[in-house]
Amino acid sequence: MIRPHDSIIVQTLGRFLIPVVQIFGLYVLFFGQYGPGGGFVGGVILGTGMILSVLIFGHDASRSQIVKKVLHGDGVGMLIYAGVGGLCMIGGGEFLNFSNLEIPGLETAARRSLGIVLTQIGVAIDVAVTAVSIVFSLSAEEIIEDSING
Amino acid sequence: MSHQLPAILFLLPLFAAISMPVVCLKHRHWSQPISVAILAAMVLVSILNLYNVLHHGEVRYVFSGWATPLGIEWVADGLASVILVLFSALGLLGVVFTGPTSPKDLGGRIVHYYTLILLLVSSLTGIVFAGDLFNLFVFLEVAAISSYALIGVAGGRALFAAYRYLILGTLGASLYLLGVSYLYAVSGTLNMADIAEKLPFLLHSKALVGGLLFMFIGLGIKMALVPFHAWLPEAYTYAPESISPILASLVTKVALLAWVRIIYWVLNASIVINDIPILLLVAVVGALAAVIGASLALAQQNIKMMFAYGGISHIGIILIGIGQGNPTGFVGGVFYLLNDAVMQAGLFFLAGVAFCHYGVRTIDDMGRVGKQAPWLTGALIILALGMIGLPPTGGFFGKWYIILGALEADNYVSAAAVVLSTLLTLAYFVKLFEAIFRQTSTGSDVPLGTIPLSFKLTLGVTSAAIMILGLFSSPIIQLLLSHALPPGL
Repeated sequence: MIRPHDSIIVQTLGRFLIPVVQIFGLYVLFFGQYGPGGGFVGGVILGTGMILSVLIFGHDASRSQIVKKVLHGDGVGMLIYAGVGGLCMIGGGEFLNFSNLEIPGLETAARRSLGIVLTQIGVAIDVAVTAVSIVFSLSAEEIIEDSING
Repeated sequence: MSHQLPAILFLLPLFAAISMPVVCLKHRHWSQPISVAILAAMVLVSILNLYNVLHHGEVRYVFSGWATPLGIEWVADGLASVILVLFSALGLLGVVFTGPTSPKDLGGRIVHYYTLILLLVSSLTGIVFAGDLFNLFVFLEVAAISSYALIGVAGGRALFAAYRYLILGTLGASLYLLGVSYLYAVSGTLNMADIAEKLPFLLHSKALVGGLLFMFIGLGIKMALVPFHAWLPEAYTYAPESISPILASLVTKVALLAWVRIIYWVLNASIVINDIPILLLVAVVGALAAVIGASLALAQQNIKMMFAYGGISHIGIILIGIGQGNPTGFVGGVFYLLNDAVMQAGLFFLAGVAFCHYGVRTIDDMGRVGKQAPWLTGALIILALGMIGLPPTGGFFGKWYIILGALEADNYVSAAAVVLSTLLTLAYFVKLFEAIFRQTSTGSDVPLGTIPLSFKLTLGVTSAAIMILGLFSSPIIQLLLSHALPPGL
């Protein structure tokens, strides 16, 4: 069980830092198109933001409710990935061959770009959820059990 | 469309596994029917794929469309396609069998349980199809991690066995990865076909020898080859009744298949490094495994333990066939691998039925129920015929071709090892039958009654499959000879 941190400094800084961390995570995720970055790193940073909010405000705070909901999304990222791959297969190419991404009205270059972004978003979601669920399973077994059974 | 089949075959169970927790969030009892449906679809797709490969030649599928030395390649040739039809069918039977036998106190984790089974099946597909060494490692690890979790799911003694498997399995995977990195350092590529092209110029390299040795030991641990077999009997014995058939029939066999891929498709069949023919080494190790595994099986009282050691000895027999370096031995080995997958599945189904329905764990218990359980004893007789290798069953023809191959290669020690292992197999089944037919222990306080349909189905189908593999052995072996032989033979 994770209790809220009792230092006012940590709480105030957390309120300020968490949104910045999340925005930075999104930036790294989308910047992966043009330079260093991408789904995995972005996902780790997004996950870190959520872990930070649980560590600072405790497990039961209203701010942490969304993090608990996130735990159910462990397959969603991969499903996005599968959807993009499936659209490529429908378009007649190999799995994840983005030039065949079956979205009407797009140039080949735009298809490649969109395909990469979508798969990286999928990766980011999965990595973030995995990071959060590792922290939860290390901290309190019964939370995982409850969220599975309840 | 038909060129997509290998990818579909792998993606179907993978994405079913991933969407399972979302789909079954509210209705956890849907998980078993969904798994059955997915695996049934997989059987259909794998048959289509086999048909396609037989008629239009092998399919080389590159993910994302990147050309081969860089991209990730899937090789659906005759060998992979034949084996995949069998593996998906056995996976389907395994999931049908899990219904009444899975641990009772799983609660909400039942969804994750089926997720892991589907993940295991998809990673096995990946190992069979993988066209490069690194992806082989990835899928070996996915298969291993899902097996650890599945073995330990019931808790208690199984947790200890799973932990031991985890330690040894991780060691094996690390050694394999180390070997792959050596090969990569020497050849600069991971694609199997690419390495095979570059290898003739690299034979002087010590890194190659070291890498191959690490890979062989790593895969040896995964396939429970005799000096490294310590994890297997306990893991398969204490695993839930519903899981051990899938593990015993598929997981060790697929590591063996990976080694066959490497030794014939990456290396060459006739390769000699430092005056040692690699294949001869394989045959010798196989002979040791065949004899030692069967002798250890003879000493067991627990029937699951006995069958597990039987599986270890059969890994050795397959290796003997593979190691002869001629088409007869190779085809015998592959045919015996198919048979052994069916027999191991059947034996562990049988052990599962014996425990879940009759409460039988040891040979003495078996004597108590033997005559009152016609399905159990009937299936046991057919499975025993197959394991020993008597004529109408597939086991006979597999061993026959392996011995023919050994004699063709003038390798009399190998042939003798197969015969000796057969005699020892006969001995431990005689032990079992003696308990049943002499009824050494008295008292029939057994809860009798009809056994569930899924038990009859799994026992019946595996027994029938052993017979069918024997009766149709000639066309199957012709098919393997014409479509599944490696390039060098």
